[in-house]
Amino acid sequence: MTRKPALTKRIIIYLILVAVMIMINLPFLWMVITSFKTEEEVFSWPIKFYPTLFSFENYKGAFSLMPLTRLLLNTLFVAGSVTVLQLILNSLAAYGLSRFKFKGRDVIFIILIGTLMIPREVIIIPLYIIINSMGLVDTYQSQIFPFASSAFGIFLLRQFFLGIPDELEDAALMDGASRLQIFWKVILPLSLPALWTTAIFSFLASWNSYLWPLVAINDSKKQMIQVGLSQFSSDWMTQWTWKMAATTVAVVPIIIFFFFIQKQYVEGIRGIGIKG
Amino acid sequence: MKRKRKDTLLAWLTILPALSIQVVFIYVPLIWAIFISFFRWNMIRPMRFVGLANYERMFTRAEFWDSLRITFIYILGTVPTSILIGLGLALLMNMEWLKFKGLFRTAFYIPVITAMAAAAVIWGWLFEPNYGLLNWFLSLFGIEGVGWLSDPDYALSALMIVGVWKRIGYNMVLFLAGLQVIPKTLYEVADIDGASKFSKFLNITWPLLSPTTLFVVILQFIASFRVFVSVSVMTQGGPSKSTRVITYYLYQQAFENMKFGYSSAIAVFMFGLMLIFTILQFQASKRRTFYK
Repeated sequence: MTRKPALTKRIIIYLILVAVMIMINLPFLWMVITSFKTEEEVFSWPIKFYPTLFSFENYKGAFSLMPLTRLLLNTLFVAGSVTVLQLILNSLAAYGLSRFKFKGRDVIFIILIGTLMIPREVIIIPLYIIINSMGLVDTYQSQIFPFASSAFGIFLLRQFFLGIPDELEDAALMDGASRLQIFWKVILPLSLPALWTTAIFSFLASWNSYLWPLVAINDSKKQMIQVGLSQFSSDWMTQWTWKMAATTVAVVPIIIFFFFIQKQYVEGIRGIGIKG
Repeated sequence: MKRKRKDTLLAWLTILPALSIQVVFIYVPLIWAIFISFFRWNMIRPMRFVGLANYERMFTRAEFWDSLRITFIYILGTVPTSILIGLGLALLMNMEWLKFKGLFRTAFYIPVITAMAAAAVIWGWLFEPNYGLLNWFLSLFGIEGVGWLSDPDYALSALMIVGVWKRIGYNMVLFLAGLQVIPKTLYEVADIDGASKFSKFLNITWPLLSPTTLFVVILQFIASFRVFVSVSVMTQGGPSKSTRVITYYLYQQAFENMKFGYSSAIAVFMFGLMLIFTILQFQASKRRTFYK
C-alpha cells in the first residue's frame, strides 16, 4: 500500500480530471443547449450560454424536415438484425472452433480472423458491385448480410469457450445429450457475459456505420441515421438549432445506453488489448 | 470412430455460415479489388485490361502523393497527441486513492462510442467562424477567430482536433489496462531504495508499459490512416483539397468519377500498407503478453 499524497495534491488531480471530463463532453453539452435555443439566441454575440425559453420548436422542426423517426427505426432494425445474426453465427463458429479437433481447423480459424486485416474501404468497390448484382442496392439487406458475422466476435467467444472446462461437456455427453443440446444448454448460458459484450460491439458498430450506407443506399427513406444526419446537415447549412436538435435525438439515447452497459464494453476493449 | 466423423461434420456445419459470409463479403471482394486494379472500368463500358497502367498513373500523379502527404500529416498530428493525453489520463486514473473512477472513465469514453458522423456535425457548429464556441473562446484571449473549416491553412488541424478528441478515452482504457498488470512489488522495492517519482516512471512504468505503447501507436496509426467520416461530413476534402486524405481520394475516384480500376489500385496500395502495419501490431501484441 503506497501512502496517499497530500490533500492539496489530491485536490489538484481531481480538478484536472474534472476539467478534462468537462472539456471532453462540452461538445455534447453545447449540442443540447443549442437545440433548445431560438434562432436569435444562436446568432448573438457575445455568446448566450443558456436558452431563455427552452422551446421544443427545433425538435419539431427537425422531425418535420427530415424523416428522423424513419431513419432511427431503419437503423434500429438493421443494427438489431446484425446483432442477432452475429450472435448466432459467431457463437456457432466459435463453438466449432473451440470444441472439436479436425483437419484444417487452424487454417479456418486464421481465415476467419484474417478478415480483421482487411479494412472495409479497401473492398468497398467490389462489395458494392456484388450487392448491386444481387439487386440489393437500396435495401436493408445490403446493410445486414455483409455484417452477419465478425472476426472479432468469433475470436472473443472462442477464447471464452476455451475457458469452459471440457469435463462439463463430457458429463453431458455421458448423459446422452447431443452436441447441439450441450451448446444451447451448457455453453451458451455459461457465456452470457461474453455474448453480451460482443452484442454491444456489433450493435454500436452497426449503429455508427457511415461509409457503407453512404455507398449502398440512395433512397433517403431507407437511409441509416448517420448518413441521414450528415445529409440533413449539409442541406441546411446554417440552421444550427435544427441540426443540433436532430443530432441530440441521434446521440443522446446511445450515451444513456452506454451508461448502462459501459462495464461490459470496457471489459471487451481490455480483452482485445491484452490478448491481441 | 463413427462419433469422430459425426463430430467433424458437425464442426464444419457450425463454422460454415460464418465462413461463407466472410468469404462472400470480404475475401471475394478483396481478390476482386486486386483483379479490377488491372483494368479500366466505369461499370458502363466493358472492362479493358490495362496491365499496370493504373498503378503507374497512381504513382505519377501529384494528387495521389498529395493525398498521401495530407494523410501522413494527419497521422503525425493525431497519433502522438492522442497517446500522450491518453497516457497522462491513465496515469492519473491509476492512483489507488482515486474515487469515482468509473464515472471518470465513462465520461472520458463517451466520444469513443459516439458516431463520428454525428460528432462531426456537432464539431461543425463548434468550429462555426462567427458564432462558434471555439472562436468565442479564442476571442477571450484577444485572438482573432479563424474559419476553421473554410481556411485551407486550418481545416486539417480542425479535423485533427476532432480525431484526437474522439480517441483519447480509448487510449486511456488501453493504457490503464497496461498499467494494472505491472506488479506493485516493483514500486515497493523502488520505494525502499528511495527512488523518486520520476525515476520510478522512467525505470519501471515506461519500460514495462512499452509493449502497450507500441500496440496503441500502431492501432492509432492504422485508425488515422483510415480517416474518412470526419472528412466526408465536415470538409469533403476541401477547402481547395487541403483535407483530401487518401480514403477520401479513393472514395471520390470510385463513386464520383466512376474510375473503378484506378480507385481499386489505390485500394490495393492502402491494403498493402495496412497489412504491414497490422503484422507489426500482431507482433506488438505478442510482446505485450510477455510480461504477464
